[in-house]
Amino acid sequence: MSKTRDLLAALVIRLTFVVALFAAVLMPAAAQSTDAELKLLVDALAARGFSETEDAIKALAFTGDDRVAAVLGALGEGNLFVGKTSKQVVIGRAAGRDLVLTDPVTRAEIGTEPSAAYTKIRVNNRLRRTIQAAIGTLTLLSDNPVTRRAAAEAVMKTRDPETIPALDAAIAEETDAGILQVMQEARAAAVLNSDAAEADKVAAIATIAGRGDRESLSILTQYIAAPGEVGVAAQAAVDDVNTTIALWNAGQNIWFGVSLGSVLLLAAIGLAITFGVMGVINMAHGEMVMIGAYTTFVVQQQIRMYAPGLFDFSLLIALPLAFLVAGAIGVAIERGVIRFLYGRPLETLLATWGISLILQQAVRSRFGAQNQQVGNPSWMSGSFDVGLISITYSRLWIVVFAIFVFFALMALLKRTPFGLQTRAVTANRQMASAMGIRTPWIDAMTFGLGSGVAGIAGVALSQIENVSPNLGQGYIIDSFMVVVFGGVGNLWGTLVGALTLGIANKFLEPYAGAVLGKIFVLVFIILFIQKRPRGLFALKGRSIEA
Amino acid sequence: MITHFILNGLDRRAGIVVALLVAIAILVPVLNLVVPPSSPFHVPGYTLALFGKYLCYALLALSLDLVWGYCGILSLGHGAFFALGGYAMGMYLMRQIGPRGVYGDPVLPDFMVFLNYQELPWFWHGFDMFWFAAIMVVVVPGLLAFVFGWFAFRSRVTGVYLSIITQAMTFALLLAFFRNDMGLGGNNGLTDFKDILGFNVQSAETRSGLFAATALSLALSFWICSSVVRSKAGKVLIAVRDAESRTRFIGYRVEHYKLFVWTLSAMMAGVAGALYVPQVGIINPSEFDPANSIEAVIWVAVGGRGTLIGPIIGAVLVNFGKTWFTAALPEVWLFALGALFVLVTLFLPKGIVGTVQLAAASWRERRAAAPAAVALDPKPAE
Amino acid sequence: MSSNGTIRKFTTGALAGMLAATALMTAGSALAQEETIKVGILHSLSGTMAISETTLKDVMLMLIEQQNEKGGLLGKKLEAVVVDPASDWPLFAEKARELISQNGVAAVFGCWTSVSRKSVLPVFEELNSVLFYPVQYEGEESQRNVFYTGAAPNQQAIPAVDYLEAEEGVERWVLAGTDYVYPRTTNKILEAYLLAKGVAPEDIMINYTPFGHSDWQTIVSDIKAFGSAGKKTAVVSTINGDANVPFYKELGNQGIKAEDIPVVAFSVGEEELAGIDTTPLVGHLAAWNYFQSVEDPINDEFIAAWKAYKGKDTAVTNDPMEAHYIGFNMWVKAVEAAGTTDSDAVIDALVGVAVPNLSGGYSSMGPNHHITKPVLIGEIQDDGQFEIVSQTPGLVLGDEWSDYLEGSKDLISDWRKPLACGNFNVVTGKCGGAS
Repeated sequence: MSKTRDLLAALVIRLTFVVALFAAVLMPAAAQSTDAELKLLVDALAARGFSETEDAIKALAFTGDDRVAAVLGALGEGNLFVGKTSKQVVIGRAAGRDLVLTDPVTRAEIGTEPSAAYTKIRVNNRLRRTIQAAIGTLTLLSDNPVTRRAAAEAVMKTRDPETIPALDAAIAEETDAGILQVMQEARAAAVLNSDAAEADKVAAIATIAGRGDRESLSILTQYIAAPGEVGVAAQAAVDDVNTTIALWNAGQNIWFGVSLGSVLLLAAIGLAITFGVMGVINMAHGEMVMIGAYTTFVVQQQIRMYAPGLFDFSLLIALPLAFLVAGAIGVAIERGVIRFLYGRPLETLLATWGISLILQQAVRSRFGAQNQQVGNPSWMSGSFDVGLISITYSRLWIVVFAIFVFFALMALLKRTPFGLQTRAVTANRQMASAMGIRTPWIDAMTFGLGSGVAGIAGVALSQIENVSPNLGQGYIIDSFMVVVFGGVGNLWGTLVGALTLGIANKFLEPYAGAVLGKIFVLVFIILFIQKRPRGLFALKGRSIEA
Repeated sequence: MITHFILNGLDRRAGIVVALLVAIAILVPVLNLVVPPSSPFHVPGYTLALFGKYLCYALLALSLDLVWGYCGILSLGHGAFFALGGYAMGMYLMRQIGPRGVYGDPVLPDFMVFLNYQELPWFWHGFDMFWFAAIMVVVVPGLLAFVFGWFAFRSRVTGVYLSIITQAMTFALLLAFFRNDMGLGGNNGLTDFKDILGFNVQSAETRSGLFAATALSLALSFWICSSVVRSKAGKVLIAVRDAESRTRFIGYRVEHYKLFVWTLSAMMAGVAGALYVPQVGIINPSEFDPANSIEAVIWVAVGGRGTLIGPIIGAVLVNFGKTWFTAALPEVWLFALGALFVLVTLFLPKGIVGTVQLAAASWRERRAAAPAAVALDPKPAE
Repeated sequence: MSSNGTIRKFTTGALAGMLAATALMTAGSALAQEETIKVGILHSLSGTMAISETTLKDVMLMLIEQQNEKGGLLGKKLEAVVVDPASDWPLFAEKARELISQNGVAAVFGCWTSVSRKSVLPVFEELNSVLFYPVQYEGEESQRNVFYTGAAPNQQAIPAVDYLEAEEGVERWVLAGTDYVYPRTTNKILEAYLLAKGVAPEDIMINYTPFGHSDWQTIVSDIKAFGSAGKKTAVVSTINGDANVPFYKELGNQGIKAEDIPVVAFSVGEEELAGIDTTPLVGHLAAWNYFQSVEDPINDEFIAAWKAYKGKDTAVTNDPMEAHYIGFNMWVKAVEAAGTTDSDAVIDALVGVAVPNLSGGYSSMGPNHHITKPVLIGEIQDDGQFEIVSQTPGLVLGDEWSDYLEGSKDLISDWRKPLACGNFNVVTGKCGGAS
């Protein structure tokens, strides 16, 4: 029964395909099919295999019906369902365990039914591409400029000569210069793929080479081997584009380096305070970062549960909380353990190592050993292009945030009474105490500050890293390297150290690979310390010798 | 002169420890091999293997204490020397497999066969001979330590800075040995050993032999360390630990003393690694993990640095605790381990042995001062 | 003087105490041994591998509990012995020895990554016990005491590549992996396979990164560059556990969509995806022998039991868990058939045992100690689950010695008598090397 049905559907598809082809040739403008025809085609989407579904998509697209784009859009997003018994294809929107159903052809709502009665129509990557191309062709004339641009980009990827008439029509109507250019490039890509005259193709190559990016390279490379003028022009264009890309690559490496450097800076700056200013080797520093990341996770969890609308603000809410949580734990560690160990820096190392084990295990017992999901708010997702450098928002914000934290700390240490007292205690504890500064209080607050800063670093790192109990361990050695390289007790040193190591790493990586690059950087630090045993920016004065 | 140096190290206290270790080296294998399993005095193979491993750790801890407890150099990278010694031994053991590997290649170890190595990398040559490997066990870590120390001590890198760059050293080696292109087996390391000096590494007799060798090496190293710290040079080392600048101003070439003891210590760590590998059956880059080196520091701290018996006790105790806890409290044992470190640094700053010594001293003093009960300051002197 | 004495007493006292304690541990376990059959669980509960292994420990505890509810085995209750090898390889060997010789377990389920398995192999050989290894691995091994319930390369990598080539028309390949033996070997096999299929060497890019690599900016942009040569490009990822999250985050952020450059991964399952927002990753692929989304009544039952056991509705199941499910049931069946937990009898009885797997069929243990499984390819969905887009029509038996590697193409493994050899060379007719 169902077999004959499938066969029938397949037959209909093939037939419609042919008919549609004629229709497309005869009248390229949007044609309206009858509801019944359309329904048959839509039902054919629920075919057995991906290839059959692909045929159905193409057949639908060829109708040129303006209702098709919505159906295909729903298919691409996984919102198209087929009834398990009825074999009717419908658009569904999940509502709890039910589906709110819409008729794909008439767009009328047809009630709510349990999801169990429907199967989702599966798509894979190939189908998704076909769908996008189909939607692209169908929406080239859309009223919405964003849709038109997306359509042009999608059509460009197909390089299908059959899209040329549609593109020509769209180009004639287009008023936006930017979109017009994309359409012309898409047309050029299609022309190159067609059997157009050589001169047309050379012109097309010029159009595409104008983009000067990877996409154009990807198109042009295919025609290097083409005979005659086309091959020559393509080769020349490829060389041009390659030169441009090489130039941008250097810039990209700097950006990658700055972004890695700012991650290192964030991870290390709390340590620069506890280690640099107080002389405490805090091996539990990484765990403070981890606790900051887990605070973010908990905040997001609560927001998801109680106030999903606030999700975009989750990081802003998490920042002060992470500072307070990590800071409070830091103060507790200082009061409970470290204050008994001042003057014995190497023993703080052992005690804090023990603390780090305890904190890790505590988090593991409470949250489990698995990664926790910390989502990116919308303003942290995606990327934009500057020339050929694609800058991701998450990295950009982390760079901005790192710089902000750095200057805020500088201001705190240099411009406030607390900072003054901290520096006094660092310089000479006895003398500061004699001047009436409550040194134990300053110690606790400074350690809390360092830990709190580590906590907010955790908020930022949760955006690009695993949130797991091992998060901190990955950063502890790097952080120590940054602080020691930059010079203990000097925040500027930490800044310069982090950026230098970040950029050095990123320039070495393309040549030496990620592992060797890192090894080189470590060896460089070891050698550098021989040359300047107190780091890049050594503090002058006697107190440090203690 | 030399005899004096050697005999000087063997005072009564050191003599007892050495004798005890030699006794263990003889007694435990006998109890394992000769005494029947039904006897309550039988030492099972499991215990033998376990304590063999602990003794290797004890030797590592001893070598670390020599530089930290007596010269004030806190190395956070001693695991690197241990691992290098282990790799040298591992390479010998790999070459001993010969054609018995799974692919039956007469020369190439298995991992080279399936990674398509055509010939043995140059640094693998010579390791088919035990004497060569045995020399490499001390030469490779010794050389690395010498070069590293030569630069570091001449530039007067001290204290925390030195600790951090030793950590950088072992971290760099960790990354390097993880690379499969190093030709040392990458992450899997060297494993699947068959023979050592013609004896099957899995047989009870070989295990006993390795145990005895480890205990004897520990005894010998203890004697050497004892001789060193009791010699004139040892006094200078302690002076360096307590006041480096002052020692330098008096006219001692501080960096020479440091370099000597640092290199010696690295060689001892290498021997520990070499004895460790045939007993646990694997050497892999994670031995370079900075966390391992920090753990070794903790054994010394727990046992009591600046005493030679302390690190041995610390290493055995902490590792026994680890064995016990990972089986008895698998879910929460890290709490116990972490708490141990915190408590020891807070309440036993001199470690177990140091505290016992202090308590004994104060008890003696009190007995001497009795009946006039003198209130002693319980705080240890800094 | 007297302080010497104190130290000596202390030392001897401590040593004696520890020896006594060890003896007690042995005695205590010997007493309990009468009533139950012990099953060892050797999975790291701390350290870097805990992230993947803790759930496997839990799944074993659940399976043992279920078996006890069914009345145990051979009329006795099963008792789980859990230890923590702490992601420390020598400790794996020590704990394996402890489980077998101190606790007297009948079989051990555990290990994660080849190095942990390699480290315990000699122990299992020496003490003649049984190990079930549930994770996909590079092959090139077949040991009498070990049963490999995870996938060999031919049960994961090769079908995945075939799928990409047929379904997506991929012509250019990035083989990206973490620098350890599984990716190295898998990539060697894939490279040989692709070259044999006529892919040009310049269309293959191989890249290795260290464990826990977190800064993927450069590599992702390199992949982007490699993918702009006008041929359809795909990434075959053997990137290990932890490094995947930042890798996928970077892919999503740099706008590499599955439609442009699909990534097929062999180490990314439901568990790993639970840590990321998968919306930007929809369409990237993974090849496994099991997905939680498999529609099968036994699977539904298993998932429900697991969620109830964890007390969490969001708990996910994954491929290694299914491997333990299969392995445990095979062991139970073999013990029942042999009527004893004696290792030799169980090892012989295990070959040929068939039990239901969770993807609607039966898995059976081959003579090479590998099992038959279907190969599934799934696309990541926005809910962190996989949509199965391809499934091999039949079951595939794990091939321990790859046909695409120079060293192993002539080797076979058959542990049935009379051959009883893990690395029989069909050309020389000899059982090479080991055993």
